Amino acid sequence: MFDIKSAFQAILKDEQISPPLAAILALTELIDNSDAGTMFELVKALNDGAEALKNQTTNTISLNAGCELFIAFVTLFPHDSDNFTDLKKELIRHGQNYAAEALTYRQKIAELAVGFIKDGSVILTHSYSRVVMQTLLLAHKRKRISVFVTEARPRGLGIKTAEALTAAGVPSTVILDSAVAYVMDKVDFVLVGSEAVVESGGLVNAVGSNQIAIIARAANKPFYALAESYKFHRLFPLSQYDLPSHTSKILSFPRPLLSEPSLRTNAPDGGLSYPSSGSTSTNQPDLESPRITQESISQNNPNVDYTRPDLISLVFSDVGSLTPEGVSQYLVGMFAG
Amino acid sequence: MPVPTIADPPVVVQSGAKPSQQSMSKAERRELQEKQRAAKAALKEQQGGGKPQGGKAPAGAQPKPPQTPKAPKDQQAGPPQAKIPQATGGAGPSKTKIPTTPHRKSFLAESPWKGGLKDASAAAAEEASNRQSHGLRIFTHFGQPKPIIAVKGEIHPAIVRLGLLFSEFKICGANARCIATLTAFKQVIQDYTTPPQHTLSRHLMTHLSPQITHLVSARPMSVTMGNAIRELKLKISNIDIDMVEQDAKNALYAEIDNYIRDRILLADELIEELAGNKIKDGDVILTYAKSSVVEKVLLNAREEGKKFSIIVIDSPPLLEGKVLLQSLIQGSNPIPCTYALLPALPSLLTDVSMVLVGAHALYSNGAVYSRAGTAMVAMMAKANSVPVVVCCETYKFSEGVMVDGFSKNELVPLSISNKHSNLLKDIDAEPNLEKLNPLYDLTPPGYITAVVTEVGLIPPSSISSIPLALGKTNM
Repeated sequence: MFDIKSAFQAILKDEQISPPLAAILALTELIDNSDAGTMFELVKALNDGAEALKNQTTNTISLNAGCELFIAFVTLFPHDSDNFTDLKKELIRHGQNYAAEALTYRQKIAELAVGFIKDGSVILTHSYSRVVMQTLLLAHKRKRISVFVTEARPRGLGIKTAEALTAAGVPSTVILDSAVAYVMDKVDFVLVGSEAVVESGGLVNAVGSNQIAIIARAANKPFYALAESYKFHRLFPLSQYDLPSHTSKILSFPRPLLSEPSLRTNAPDGGLSYPSSGSTSTNQPDLESPRITQESISQNNPNVDYTRPDLISLVFSDVGSLTPEGVSQYLVGMFAG
Repeated sequence: MPVPTIADPPVVVQSGAKPSQQSMSKAERRELQEKQRAAKAALKEQQGGGKPQGGKAPAGAQPKPPQTPKAPKDQQAGPPQAKIPQATGGAGPSKTKIPTTPHRKSFLAESPWKGGLKDASAAAAEEASNRQSHGLRIFTHFGQPKPIIAVKGEIHPAIVRLGLLFSEFKICGANARCIATLTAFKQVIQDYTTPPQHTLSRHLMTHLSPQITHLVSARPMSVTMGNAIRELKLKISNIDIDMVEQDAKNALYAEIDNYIRDRILLADELIEELAGNKIKDGDVILTYAKSSVVEKVLLNAREEGKKFSIIVIDSPPLLEGKVLLQSLIQGSNPIPCTYALLPALPSLLTDVSMVLVGAHALYSNGAVYSRAGTAMVAMMAKANSVPVVVCCETYKFSEGVMVDGFSKNELVPLSISNKHSNLLKDIDAEPNLEKLNPLYDLTPPGYITAVVTEVGLIPPSSISSIPLALGKTNM
């Protein structure tokens, strides 16, 4: 029995492959191992596989993008082949070719973005993004740049970026997430990667991107996003809380401490609710408040946030440099009708 | 025969009045005008009319403070002999005579369109409205409906009935009007026989033109009606010449039915689903006036078992929100609703999770043309970071661009506004007070978060790419 999740994990081990691409490759493998006899069965199997992939992780947005792209491709693929096995082989071939080509997208984007980087630029970036890394390293080969990187708590991936840049000889330093406004006037422009670019033309990226975009707008600095075309997604969040990644647990308040021992509860999960009598068996013998650990903070906080399209100056992609409105037109052209 | 356009610009020469005026020189025309003016003034003196007519200012002059008294609450039929605020000469008719030429009406006229019949008792109304010396300078270009007295060609009874329903605002709303129009056209086509020596595909269109004009004279054409009629004309012109007449007619019925089903009813179902996905348990949805699509979305969400509450914002004179409220709270599973008027909006917006409104039309620049008041709701919502979602079928798209609510609009006729709102009745025919009720306004694309169509959720900036994506050259 083909296990798409393990296939997915195996593919993800390659550092260069991002989740949407890994999803596409995993789905390609699913076609290979599938015994579906008709297109309908195959699409159903693909949808089931995509569901299984989504269930194993909480951050599903970019994964969704890849899955939907591939399934749409399969559905719209012209059925010229004589028999179904040939068709499946065609699909697999296309899937693998696409993935191979997609690995060159980062280079394409880097070439495009470097044109916008002037000699002596001071760049602000957020967290760790492979496509931003490639762009900065390419720029460093031809021009002089210096980079501020936000720490990007709680995962602290910004440190990884700064270390890699310093090793390559790019002057870079880590700044606090709270110091972005402090540093913004020194910066020429902001460059971030993306988890997904959505239908509205907005950006879904590591939490903090929205904040940086707002500050950049207030300081009149350009905000550029780098995104491969397989990250374009038909999702349309109306607000932060409309994202699929937003759960009721995020930003919830822990249960209040009550003084009476019989009613005190040790429940660790969030949600403002009063315990009913007899709902819990454990009693705290003392009045100590539960410690707030870094672990509990990161559980209670979002991983990604949504940046509105009017805050984004340009989106650089392998299909070209697009305005946020252009992104939605591209998506509408690809998927609508 | 060309189809007459609605908003004829103010012309010096009244259409059909004196075609030979074109051939007269300017001086001669001026002379004629003065003569007619004098004759009219004399007539008014004779009949003991009220205030003396002020000087005729040309239409479009700078807005003077309104001086004309409001016509009394007269619901009578008959086009009042209003003073025309423009430099034209009518054939100065006597007040009790049915005018042979269509006159520009003052904007305080009641629903003047009643098929051109006049009661004798309307004389009183005329006298009063003759006191109106000036209409409003602004909004004179809205093209007040002209009463068509002598119609060219016969008007089908279904169309006459429809026109009456339109002018009385009994059928109100873009979808309703379009569906009613197409259904009436089905009847027209049914009763139509191709005259000898003519082909159906060419003659039917000329047959439909006066019908359309009749409807337009009742109420200006909506974008939806325009798009539907354009599609219908296209289908008619594509009919094979050699087709048997009944077959051609059946084909047309099928086309009309398909259009209604695909572009309106099925589209609405898709919109119900897409917009419904954005409604979550515990949400507070705000809506304005009454949109048929929004009503469907909300009722469908209730059917799906979602727990949410609604705030209905309304405004006079039409007070359509009350009708929406009725349908939301009735039945075994009423949705908790709050009803408020527009001035109460700021205090309610803090609790709102999403604003859901309908549209009359959507323009290429992403602007939404909707019931007057929608723009205000959208603007306040934006200021409070509340997402504004517009539900709109793709057949409501218009290729044009609109930047404000002035270039094209419609005024609520007095009879209708008096009927619905008791407050306004008390403001009697004041000499210096005019009531102005535009029906529509324009919401700029910047205030809208998303537009829900049957092809998905679209940001307003991409509206222009929808027709391209759908593969249509015209909507």
